[in-house]
Amino acid sequence: MRVVLSSMWRTASGRYSMTVLAIWILVSLISRFWTPVPIWTTDGYRIWQAPSRAHLLGTDGTGADILSWLMAGSATNLAISLLAVLLSGVLGLLLVMAMVSRRSGVSQTVVVLVDALISLPTVLLALILAVPLGPSIAVVVVACGFGYGLNLARIVRPQALLAAESDYVQSARHSGVGSFRIFLTHLVPNVIPVLCVQLSMSAGTSVLAEAGLTYLGVGVPSGLPSWGHSLTTSVKFINVFPLTVLWPGLAVTMVVVALNLFGDALRDAIDPVTNPRLRAAVAAAGRSTLQSGQSDDSGHHVENAIHTGEGDQSCR
Amino acid sequence: MAKFLVRRLVLFILALMGISLLIFLALRILPGDVAAVMAGLDAPPARVDRLRRQMGLDRSYPRQYLDWISGFLQGDLGRSILTNRPIASQVGVRAQITFPLILLGLGVALLLGIPLGCAAALARSPRMQSFSHMAAIVGGSVPALWSGLLLIMLFAKGSGLIGLLPSQGFPAFGWAQPGQALSALILPALSTGIIVGAGIMRYTRSLLGDMLSSGYVDMGMACGMTRTQAALRIGLRLASPQLVSVIGLTMAEMITGVMVSENLFALPGLGSMLITDVGNRDLPAVQSELLLLAAFFLFLGLLVDVIHRLIDPRFRGAARQEVAA
Repeated sequence: MRVVLSSMWRTASGRYSMTVLAIWILVSLISRFWTPVPIWTTDGYRIWQAPSRAHLLGTDGTGADILSWLMAGSATNLAISLLAVLLSGVLGLLLVMAMVSRRSGVSQTVVVLVDALISLPTVLLALILAVPLGPSIAVVVVACGFGYGLNLARIVRPQALLAAESDYVQSARHSGVGSFRIFLTHLVPNVIPVLCVQLSMSAGTSVLAEAGLTYLGVGVPSGLPSWGHSLTTSVKFINVFPLTVLWPGLAVTMVVVALNLFGDALRDAIDPVTNPRLRAAVAAAGRSTLQSGQSDDSGHHVENAIHTGEGDQSCR
Repeated sequence: MAKFLVRRLVLFILALMGISLLIFLALRILPGDVAAVMAGLDAPPARVDRLRRQMGLDRSYPRQYLDWISGFLQGDLGRSILTNRPIASQVGVRAQITFPLILLGLGVALLLGIPLGCAAALARSPRMQSFSHMAAIVGGSVPALWSGLLLIMLFAKGSGLIGLLPSQGFPAFGWAQPGQALSALILPALSTGIIVGAGIMRYTRSLLGDMLSSGYVDMGMACGMTRTQAALRIGLRLASPQLVSVIGLTMAEMITGVMVSENLFALPGLGSMLITDVGNRDLPAVQSELLLLAAFFLFLGLLVDVIHRLIDPRFRGAARQEVAA
């Protein structure tokens, strides 16, 4: 783990993405307890103020502090991203598990299902959900999680199929290991690089989706801070106060860029084929576990890393 | 090919049925009584009942579903609850804005994405390479709303820095004056096209990059082509099947951009109609419009698969084989 992180830190894009993501998480945590001005404080005499010492980014049409709303919004967006990624990860892996299932009826059905639904845009799904549920965070999370889960399943399937046909999975199966356990211990470690990239990019897309859906009135309900709301409230006054449009857009763009770069950097760092430092560390750790003859925590990680390498080599 | 077409058509019909069921059930089973919401707070129960009957919500689910689908297939999309006008005629008028907008946006995306992607893949200096990589990532990370806003700030007539193009509304006489209609669509198409184009650029770059190191391009150079010629004639052709499927997938993303820009640029298209109807919970209108848009995108998916099949040399004369995505 430490080798992976430090390898990522060595590239410029890795450094940028890790810094921005760390700031995002930090600001989200801080905003739970403190913002420069409490977000519900409005001041009718101070609407559309230019940036000043009291209001670093100025105030909006209700006299609320723009910076404070952006900070509070970051927590909402972080929560949405995490939930959407979690949902899509679970759904995607379940679909992959069904797709590589030995029962051909199950796998065929799921493959057809995923192929059929994959061209359905996320925003249409969100609109379907929004009619009965009204605007809510759940609409964003479920629509994103569902859409990205399908994508994930489709992208991960070839790798998982390769791994499912490999010798070690065959031998595990013959020695009577259950298919669920095989999936967890052999297939999942094999697809981790692809999985990480995809989840990281999905997190980015969910931030964008939140902004779009909230603007369309089916995302985060009004009253809850989010970047989508910050963007939306500034739209009406774009000609008069263009600066207020810049900040939320910048926040969204910076975070999404960071998440995309994070995925790329993580893929390069987590793959022993492209990361010589990880290869060396794996080899060293492997030697020490062989010598001591015990499988501690690091030994388990080594096993995973080696599987990862094997999966990648076999697909080349 | 015939076998593939039949199989793909069956899949298309199955998907359409599945989605129509999904739309129908989501609108009926999920919590939230649409009739009660429409009637308003504190509405007398009689009024809610009347609305429910009017929307056909008192009939059994299978009956409602069959009524809806059979009407839909005959081109009868139902009547709006709010205006009591037939939805189909509305949709026809508004599609004249939305579909040109989608096509224009796609045109912008392809014109930007493919040449720039090729240029990025062929660039030799590492600085140029990393710059184009970053440009593609940043371009794809901009919220659709923001790109539209920035374009308005730059180019909108009256308020922008360089006042060039109209940024609000669509001419009332529609396509009778093509020039004005087109100019109303340029900024919205740019705002979605740039974002989708950035994604296409990224894929073009990586696909062509793979081709450059695959040996095919070397072969072309050995036959006397320059590196650029070999990359474009051989590499791009070999990469085109995958490129087509990527474009198909990005099309689905495009609809978000189109919906946002229709609202932002005040274009009375299908997207803004759908948003209004969702806000009003106009059940018959929403379910028909959703199914129509979903059908459009499923059809695009079908089209992309067929084109992919047609231009992929691996399928020429070969028996049915499955491609690992």
